[in-house]
Amino acid sequence: MAQGTLMALIAAYSLFPIYFITVQSLKTPQEDVFGSPLWVTDPSFENYTELFEGAKARPRGFVILPRVPFLDWLANSALVLAGSLAVTLAAAVLAAYALGRLQPPGWRWWRRALFATYVVPHTILFVPLYQVIIRLGLDDSHGALVLIYSTMALPFCVWILSAYYQHLPREIEEAALIEGASPATAFVRIVLPMSRNVLIAAALFTVGTVGNDFMLASIFLLDPTKQTVAAGLGVMDVSLEELVTVAGVNLAAIPVAAACAVFARGYVRGLTAAMVEGA
Amino acid sequence: MAQVVMKDLNKKYDEVHAVKDVNLHVRDKEFIVLVGPSGCGKSTTLRMVAGLEEITAGEIAIGDRVVNDLPPKDRDIAMVFQNYALYPHMTVYDNMAFGLKMRKFPKAEILKRVQDAAEILGIQELLKRKPRQLSGGQRQRVAVGRAIVRHPQVFLFDEPLSNLDAKLRVQMRVELKRLHDRLETTAIYVTHDQVEAMTLGDRVVVMKDGWVQQVGEPLELYGRPSNRFVAGFIGSPAMNFVDVGISEANGAVWIETQGLRLKAAADRTDRLRPYKGQKVTLGIRPEDIRLASGSDTPDRTFESVVEVVEPLGSEILLDMKIASAQMVARVEPTVRVKVHEPIKMAINTDRLHFFDLKSEAAI
Amino acid sequence: MAPALVLVLGVLAYPVGWEVWVSLTDFSTRLDGPPSFVGLANYLALGREPEFWHALTVTVAYFVLTTGLKLAIGTAMAVALAGPFRGRALVFLAVFLPWAYPGSVTVIAWFWMLNPPLLTSYAVAMGGVKHAFDGLFGTGAWAFLSVALFNVWRGASFTAVFLLAGLNALPTELFDYARLETRNAWQRFLAVTLPLLRPYLALAVFLSFTTAFADLANVWMLTGGRIVFPVLGTQAYWLGIRNGQFAEAAARSLSLVPLLVLALVVLFRWFDPPRERAA
Repeated sequence: MAQGTLMALIAAYSLFPIYFITVQSLKTPQEDVFGSPLWVTDPSFENYTELFEGAKARPRGFVILPRVPFLDWLANSALVLAGSLAVTLAAAVLAAYALGRLQPPGWRWWRRALFATYVVPHTILFVPLYQVIIRLGLDDSHGALVLIYSTMALPFCVWILSAYYQHLPREIEEAALIEGASPATAFVRIVLPMSRNVLIAAALFTVGTVGNDFMLASIFLLDPTKQTVAAGLGVMDVSLEELVTVAGVNLAAIPVAAACAVFARGYVRGLTAAMVEGA
Repeated sequence: MAQVVMKDLNKKYDEVHAVKDVNLHVRDKEFIVLVGPSGCGKSTTLRMVAGLEEITAGEIAIGDRVVNDLPPKDRDIAMVFQNYALYPHMTVYDNMAFGLKMRKFPKAEILKRVQDAAEILGIQELLKRKPRQLSGGQRQRVAVGRAIVRHPQVFLFDEPLSNLDAKLRVQMRVELKRLHDRLETTAIYVTHDQVEAMTLGDRVVVMKDGWVQQVGEPLELYGRPSNRFVAGFIGSPAMNFVDVGISEANGAVWIETQGLRLKAAADRTDRLRPYKGQKVTLGIRPEDIRLASGSDTPDRTFESVVEVVEPLGSEILLDMKIASAQMVARVEPTVRVKVHEPIKMAINTDRLHFFDLKSEAAI
Repeated sequence: MAPALVLVLGVLAYPVGWEVWVSLTDFSTRLDGPPSFVGLANYLALGREPEFWHALTVTVAYFVLTTGLKLAIGTAMAVALAGPFRGRALVFLAVFLPWAYPGSVTVIAWFWMLNPPLLTSYAVAMGGVKHAFDGLFGTGAWAFLSVALFNVWRGASFTAVFLLAGLNALPTELFDYARLETRNAWQRFLAVTLPLLRPYLALAVFLSFTTAFADLANVWMLTGGRIVFPVLGTQAYWLGIRNGQFAEAAARSLSLVPLLVLALVVLFRWFDPPRERAA
């Protein structure tokens, strides 16, 4: 019984903010002002539907609100996420295999150097980062975000993948070589499928990294039609349009959270696989 | 035609010289076993044959082809690993079919070959399972199956039975031997277990510190070890060793140490005579020490005290000392001996082994 | 290896280098002409500034507190989730969600829970708490606290799942043996669980560093810089972006480096997987 209570507490602690924000997003402006903060008596999807009507400017109260190209934002978010995933995973797999399996001299220090970048707060680097982006001709483009998000997710992904490859019995690849596979084939047909769960873990970590950012997106994407959901909604005036904002980001969050839920088990398995010694 | 010829084979890592001047001619259809303690270079040798390690110097030929520069996939070999090395994400069928798929065999042919191999190994029921759903013995069978479906020129076995429990190991050993009799494919088998080596090998190669110590048929190694290492490595319980002095008196050569004075057999005297006044190492197989009977003359007996009695059922092992050296005697199971009791033992002096103290070579 | 290194070091090395160089000059948009080299002047100026020391203290306290709480809560939840019980999968998902849910949504949730927009019904009550808290710790303290809580909430979720994977990876014999050697669960936790989790805890600290700043910056941007609690990162941003005093901003950011290096040295001793340390 005590354990049940504990678990309920843990669940409540974890879920409450999400519940809270969802409740607010279902409120009409009237209820928002006069209702209880903890529940909604008259749920309405007004805030959500409004997002999709936003092709034109809308009056609300005393102010005219700018148009919100929400569908563009959704598409942009998906694009940036997909790009970050592709770049991160491709680079991480190659780097991790090189570090964990081929183990060039000093590989352990390379891996540490990658990880050390985590203690440098990106947020204080954005002035020079911006210069890099401009120099690469990526200003106001999704490529900039893909590049930066990938750098943020890479060290961790490289770590888990290389730890996994490091402990993967060499004989499995050797067996494939003897069976008639070239090293590349052995990697694609044997090593990659075996690391499926670890790849899932790396992918979810990337999703989490991308999903958490708001600041970089709003700095690097200025053109409203190019912005991601997080950046775009952040630009809306929060105090005036709070409910629509929340509804918007929440809507974008649903597929991400659902995907995470589906792959949660693979995520833990993948992390475990990376941590198990000699398995 | 699938003999394997190794010529002056060497493998050097940065600091370790793992394999030194190995010359070996594995004949077609032969089952040859490389045996030795860990770090003796046996696995490295095998891996050079497989193409998994680069050859530092020397040459390996499989059939008529020198394979030094061929990648493993082009050597037409199959290998069974100690940890099975099955592909965990594939079913047993796919594991066994992988090599054939890589070589672009037609589907029907793959199916037939996998089923044939599965039948030989008795794993037809397992074809749809994943490796993690199998027991150790079943995994080992799949690993062997994966090797035989391709009808390679040479089988390579790298300690394939070491991860199995004792009972299964004996069973699989017999099966491997039967399989080899049936398939008649040249096989090179690496193990650290001298029993496996003796039971499986047509010929056995004993290695130590990268050197080949002796190559020979099992009984040849057992009966005529070429040096002290081979003598001690082959046979269980191991051969007993004690350092003795050699002297000549009354027209006979005598072998002496504290508490022991044996007359050398007539066919050994010539070889022992040059060591007169020096010390040599005497080697006695445990089965050549027995309880003395009334007819045993003093020049072949000694007295000692039993320290440990190990009744194994089919035989009894007695631990005792000669001088300061530990001795094991293997005696009939009917013998009744008590621990700590004085005992009189006799030695089959016509089956003694002698080794040079310095070079350790057999005399 | 190469692509990951190019990506991470290319995207990060230049900004870091730029930052270091700029901190040694008087670079500022207020000056005409090229910046001139001033050596350590910027740093010496910092040392004389009481505000800097205040900000530094707050920054370090923020790091230590949020990281400590994340590890404590995360470890507790991981251990609670490690054993089998009914509904474990559901509780696990609940614990996983704070991290998986896009941070750009939940950060708003936390911020508004504790800093409700003026017109809502509980704004008055919360406002009272906020006022009292700010009175104790200085203006902006409450808002700052809400960011810290969000950071802990999200980070603890990640830590919990990460450590759960670590617990799964540990050989069960060790725990069985510990049952023979220790008298109670708490002792067992201290003697066995905690030391074995050490490398993973070290990794979690690394990741905590990045998010600690990122979350702060996110909210800071979100509220248009209304959180004025002095932290090195925001001070630097203010000086750099708003005032164009890049040199001073860079010096301020980099003043953290000695502390970060110290943290790195400690963490790397714990960092590599246990097998490597044994070898």
